[in-house]
Amino acid sequence: MAKTVLVVDDSPTMRQMVAFTLTSAGYQVVEAGNGKEAVGKVNGGAKPDLVVTDLNMPEMDGITLIKEIRKMPALKFTPILMLTTEASDDKKKAGQAAGATGWIVKPFNPEQMMAVIKKVLPG
Amino acid sequence: MAEQEFANKELNHQTGISTDGSQFLTFQLGEELYGVDILRVQEIKGYTAVTRIPNTPAHIKGVLNLRGTIVPIVELRTKFGMPTIEYTMFTVIVVVVVKEKIMGLVVDAVSDVLDIDKKDIQPAPQFGAQVDVSFLNGIGKAGDKLVALLDMDRLLTDGDMTESEKIAA
Amino acid sequence: MSTDLSHFKDAFFEESQEHLTTIEEGLLQLEQRPGDIDLLNRIFRGAHSIKGNSGMFGFTAVSQFTHKMESVLDQLRSSQMVVTVAITDLLLQSLDCLKTLIDCARTGAAPDEAHVAALGGRLEACQGTPAPGQATAVPAADERSLPPGTHRFTITWAPPRYLFQRGLDPAQFLKELASLGTVTHLALDAGRLPVLMELDPEQCYLGWTLELETGKDLKVIDAVFDFVREDSTLTIVDNPVETHPTAAVSDGAKPLGEILVETGVVSQTQLNQALSQQKKVGEILVEQKVATPEQISEALKKQSECTVPAKKAETPSIRVDTVKIDRLINLVGELVITQSMLSDLGSRFEMSQLPVLLERVAQLERNTREIQERVMGIRMVPIGNAFSRFPRLVRDLSGKAGKKIQLILSGEETELDKTVIESIGDPLTHLVRNSADHGLEPPDERLAAGKPEQGIIRLNAFHEGGSICITVEDDGRGLNRDKILAKGIKQGLIAESDKLSDEQIWMLIFKPGFSTAEKVTDVSGRGVGMDVVKRNIEGLGGTVSIKTVTGKGTTFTLKLPLTLAIIEGMTVRVGQDTYIVPLLSILESIQPKREMLKSIVGKGELVNVRGTYLPLMRLYDVFRLEPELSDPTKAILLILETEGERVAVMVDEILGQQQVVIKSMEQNFRKIEGVAGATILGDGTVGFILDVRGLLNISRNGTAQAA
Repeated sequence: MAKTVLVVDDSPTMRQMVAFTLTSAGYQVVEAGNGKEAVGKVNGGAKPDLVVTDLNMPEMDGITLIKEIRKMPALKFTPILMLTTEASDDKKKAGQAAGATGWIVKPFNPEQMMAVIKKVLPG
Repeated sequence: MAEQEFANKELNHQTGISTDGSQFLTFQLGEELYGVDILRVQEIKGYTAVTRIPNTPAHIKGVLNLRGTIVPIVELRTKFGMPTIEYTMFTVIVVVVVKEKIMGLVVDAVSDVLDIDKKDIQPAPQFGAQVDVSFLNGIGKAGDKLVALLDMDRLLTDGDMTESEKIAA
Repeated sequence: MSTDLSHFKDAFFEESQEHLTTIEEGLLQLEQRPGDIDLLNRIFRGAHSIKGNSGMFGFTAVSQFTHKMESVLDQLRSSQMVVTVAITDLLLQSLDCLKTLIDCARTGAAPDEAHVAALGGRLEACQGTPAPGQATAVPAADERSLPPGTHRFTITWAPPRYLFQRGLDPAQFLKELASLGTVTHLALDAGRLPVLMELDPEQCYLGWTLELETGKDLKVIDAVFDFVREDSTLTIVDNPVETHPTAAVSDGAKPLGEILVETGVVSQTQLNQALSQQKKVGEILVEQKVATPEQISEALKKQSECTVPAKKAETPSIRVDTVKIDRLINLVGELVITQSMLSDLGSRFEMSQLPVLLERVAQLERNTREIQERVMGIRMVPIGNAFSRFPRLVRDLSGKAGKKIQLILSGEETELDKTVIESIGDPLTHLVRNSADHGLEPPDERLAAGKPEQGIIRLNAFHEGGSICITVEDDGRGLNRDKILAKGIKQGLIAESDKLSDEQIWMLIFKPGFSTAEKVTDVSGRGVGMDVVKRNIEGLGGTVSIKTVTGKGTTFTLKLPLTLAIIEGMTVRVGQDTYIVPLLSILESIQPKREMLKSIVGKGELVNVRGTYLPLMRLYDVFRLEPELSDPTKAILLILETEGERVAVMVDEILGQQQVVIKSMEQNFRKIEGVAGATILGDGTVGFILDVRGLLNISRNGTAQAA
């Protein structure tokens, strides 16, 4: 069965591109425009095998979302990748402390993104 | 073989000149048989009333609503200087595409689709035909029939269809 | 795998426009509320998204510049810097620059590098500390460029205990390592396992030691542990293996020249010389007379055509609320049901079922009308998009003109057709500039007149009937009747003897070349513009009117159709023919009395409508139709107005009023003088929409010929 990826980003363009890349690679994609929406999608029954989230978002930012996801028993061990523009370590550390698995640095090309995903997603 | 034929048609379509064997839709105006390259024909429909366009030459019959598109209708008899006749149940509109514009031609009746070889097409004679020969690509021979092959590009883009003309005094 | 993301570019540009607007609006509000963190966050996010997205498409100029803006914004929101007028000015200027950069990215034009660099420098300078270099757009290291050779790595790894809590799986790491080469040895280290009682199944206690043979170098191996390096105990020992000859070749053979230089057969200079003598394939072929120079240049042309991708036309897109689409889909569903009920009824119809039939047809009508309205609604967007540029404009204008101006916007949610919105931006801008420059007085003059120092410009939009009204109102000095009159006479627009109503005088300011500004300013007063405003609005099928009170202010009212695709029309009949007259151009319709008519040789017929003689035009004359009525006192006269000119057009009868969808005549035919377009009438036939301006032209030419 195709793996499901929850893509969270407030920029529709970025969301579409990530989703397009993932669908092209055979993944199923669930999209959310911010952390709150993402939590809603999960509570609404979405069972992602991987979460890819932006950090800077309205309503609920990425760090808070990661913390929320880690609180959910079903998603306790689910890989979470952060999308970040910064190579800055602060953001990465904050994300990891919150429970993020890893990061993808923007700008990335589809191959780069898929490489990171293959790193963390079994299968 | 079939592919070759198709390629020829493609070529004809692009150049608008019959270079090789082609299919022609033939129709009647009075006693004479005329032909248009079948690739130019979009559809054939029965005659329905048109809306006259103000201040246009007599051969521009009017416009028609063809599934939401406004299509001008040309009366070929008038265009060729032939006397007009009462429309009958055979009167049809041949809808053609000329340089991306859609137009309708009112003709007396449609006849067959004929295959005419390139070698059977001769230049139009300078006299004899009722039609201004500059509108013809040539005269085609199919069996015992003679068909005047129309040059659609010249026929329907000779000024009155495209540019805004001055109001006749 | 190569996934092409370039077709998301349009989406990027569209989205960027929204972020730019958000940033601009935010910056303007920031001046009023400098401490508003939410606002700063919003602005920051806008810039952040542009930065991230532009990098994805390789628009490095955009992402680098935005990065600099973002750094300033970040310092502002973390209170490391304070919002000052100077900083907002700089950010607004940078925003303009960013807009240009994005435009350049879209069109492929070259940006003004010096300007970008200068602004970038100022953005960096204002932060006190220089921005930490290029934080963005770090291309991934290209491992193929590293020296080849086989390594045998000994890797010892004890992951952090919390490994699972971060969604990591040790097996993934081992798999990834295995994918890089051959694992020749693998040993598990279970030494950290506690006694069972103390064991937490969600912690990772294991460690591994493995040997990996690979052509990749240390950097690549190390990168495997990117996400866990911090808390892992990790050692990677590199034991280089003697270079296997095939391994080196497999990583890319070197050019012959390079090897010759390395082995000392030739020197680098000699090699360069030899290379410079190397001829192009084309030249060689020409020399060998295999091909002519023409053939070569032809082929080269073809080659360049292949490599330069055809410039894709920009397809305009529109964002539609999914709610709107869902409703439309529901409606289409209803339509389908109605249709199937009707065909069912039709297949076995009896006269007794007539009432049912009529009811179904009525239902069909309702469905159709609603679908039409909803489909038109898709093109409708709030006018707020067009208003959003004005806060910035007014801010700039008040600075330049030395006036204090408050801008009040209302009715931003009023919806109208996207094309109309796109076309009214410029006319509105001109009217606002005009109000700021000519309408509002300088502060001292206002104080002397007993008004508050700060002038007000009000922009409002509202629906009125089938039209939308947009007003631009100022509380300035009002139009000066005498000045305009004097100017009009001086410019030869009117004669001194002309008796003009106030309204006619106000309309003079829309005449080409008319400007009463005493000094030409940067803002307006060049005598161009107001006439363009009027022409543009009329081009959209709208009207402009002026209301003014001396000392109190001026209001310009633009009245526009909601959409350009559908107009409200009056259907009229002349003999057998039906025509549609745009309702907006109809002032009134009358049946004249004999004594109102007058015929003047060489000027044609005139009709006296309440003291004004208007030219009378018989539509059947102009269009050469056969009328039913040729006596004006029995027929109907429509009084039409266009661009301030009036004419009485005679028709047989008024049939009714209806909305018509405008269809192009030019698509398959050509422009017809006096006809604005065609439409499909209720019975499926074609009707023509009159073009009043064109009618006037025909009648003028006609009379000229008759004279």
